[in-house]
Amino acid sequence: MDVVFQIVANSIIAGSLYTLIASGFTLTYSTTKFFNITHGVMTAVGAYTVFFLGKILGMPLLLAIIVGVLFAGLLGWVLNYFIYQPLRKKNASQLSLLVASLGAFTAIQACISLAFSSQFQTISHTAVMQKTFSIVGASVTQIQLIIVASALISFVSLTFFLKKTRFGTAIRAVSDDEEVAKVIGINTDKVIGIAFFIASALAGLAGILIGFDSAIEPTMGLALLMKGVTASIVGGLTSIFGAVVGSFLVSFVENFGIFYTAGEWRDAIVFTLLIIFLMFRPNGIIRT
Amino acid sequence: MEKKDQKKPALAVQNLTKHFSGVLAIDNLSLSITQGAITSIVGPNGSGKTTLINTLSGIFKPEQGTITVQGRTVPPLHPHDVWHHGITRTFQNTRLFEQMTVLDNVLVVLTKRSVIPSLLETKDDTHYDQAKQVLAATNLWEKRDQLAANLSYGQRKLLEIARSLATDADIYLFDEPFAGLFPKMVTVVFTILRSLKQEGKTVVLVEHDMDLIRKISDHVIVLDSGTLLAQGSPEQVLSEKSVVEAYLGQ
Ligand SMILES: Nc1ncnc2c1ncn2[C@@H]1O[C@H](COP(=O)(O)OP(=O)(O)O)[C@@H](O)[C@H]1O
Ligand SMILES: [Mg+2]
Repeated sequence: MDVVFQIVANSIIAGSLYTLIASGFTLTYSTTKFFNITHGVMTAVGAYTVFFLGKILGMPLLLAIIVGVLFAGLLGWVLNYFIYQPLRKKNASQLSLLVASLGAFTAIQACISLAFSSQFQTISHTAVMQKTFSIVGASVTQIQLIIVASALISFVSLTFFLKKTRFGTAIRAVSDDEEVAKVIGINTDKVIGIAFFIASALAGLAGILIGFDSAIEPTMGLALLMKGVTASIVGGLTSIFGAVVGSFLVSFVENFGIFYTAGEWRDAIVFTLLIIFLMFRPNGIIRT
Repeated sequence: MEKKDQKKPALAVQNLTKHFSGVLAIDNLSLSITQGAITSIVGPNGSGKTTLINTLSGIFKPEQGTITVQGRTVPPLHPHDVWHHGITRTFQNTRLFEQMTVLDNVLVVLTKRSVIPSLLETKDDTHYDQAKQVLAATNLWEKRDQLAANLSYGQRKLLEIARSLATDADIYLFDEPFAGLFPKMVTVVFTILRSLKQEGKTVVLVEHDMDLIRKISDHVIVLDSGTLLAQGSPEQVLSEKSVVEAYLGQ
């Protein structure tokens, strides 16, 4: 019985990480309708910024984390401003945007490898917040609780932001019909830029949290991207709530799946879920 | 209109041309729209009425020709310039923010245009009052919490008009706002157009119903195959032989 609780706990932790990634992916996808691959590498950007500032330069951890999150957000904004936005202005096809973001993904990942080697690393010298709690038979560390709390906070604040602030309404308008949003005077470029900032900052945060929970490597972004994207597609690619539901569906299927099979099947299980949804529910579970 | 002759036209186009792969939708067209008046654009289907509205609102770029707004020649318009020039429009095939409520469809127009202040701006009573005003004028206030996607055809047209009213533009381009409306809703739209004119706004209207056109227009412009067939007062234009023929030729 205990093992089931442990799997549930693991699923909740993984689902929280996917939530951070999938919410951002959904946000940029819904505003630009473009499949932004660089979103995945932002996890490594956040994690390695903290690694560099905290572990190598000795900056206080909390400060390094804040800078890491902001730097990932800024890089997302920069990529949009200098690459994706000009391409959209030229009416570039979805395919060109996809290829451009694949290129940026590879380039950023290569830069991280060059600077920090492609080895697995721990993000800080000492184990941070690894104190273990036992919750209904499942053992959970402090950092894992922080992961769950971060996902919850980001879900609540993003939802509030999108539903209640004027800017959130503008984001939803751009998602619905960018051309009309322009015609009525919304500065859609700025709106999309800020969506990229928020999305990338959240992905950066996910990478940092993963770093404290386990380890980091420059290529960590790809598997996370795949899971975040699967969660987003399962969730319908239109709402943050959908992204959250998708994230937990992915993490539960994944964690129970490997319990009944083996750890090597992890990515294959998620991929199967993605294929099933693409074939039978391409609009996700939330949208009717 | 005689009194307003000293005024610059609200909008004018000179030698405007627009093709769609072989189809000449607008053919070297020059015309002007009088300030503070209601101008109806009529013409058979495919005569270029919607294309003209689309070019005036930056959706399409003309291959040739210039556009003048309030007497100033403007560079090729982009959709996001349109609001800055005080122009707003509705679409022949209604385009709403489907996944937003009726109220949000209007509130979004009242958003602070500078992005950073709008980030944390939540609710503003003056915006709320403005939204209430335009939704009341279009009989949609009771529906404010419904998703736009769930409105009826006529309500959708009215919401699009409400949204354009909220922009508080100087020039309103309405592409077939009456089409398919029940008589009661026709009256609502009619009243709105009249009051826009009373406020001194410029209204451009694409319409087919000759009775409506006679009742509401100060000017009528007739397009045929992307060219100007006739223009003038409704009585004058609608009795012109070439106009009658263009319609009967349909
Ligand atoms: N987006 C478009 N793509 C291709 N052809 C178009 C497009 N819009 C209009 N046209 C063509 O341009 C001509 C004028 O159309 P339109 O301006 O819609 O006429 P109207 O509004 O007067 O009925 C038609 O022949 C139409 O088929
Ligand atoms: Mg038309």
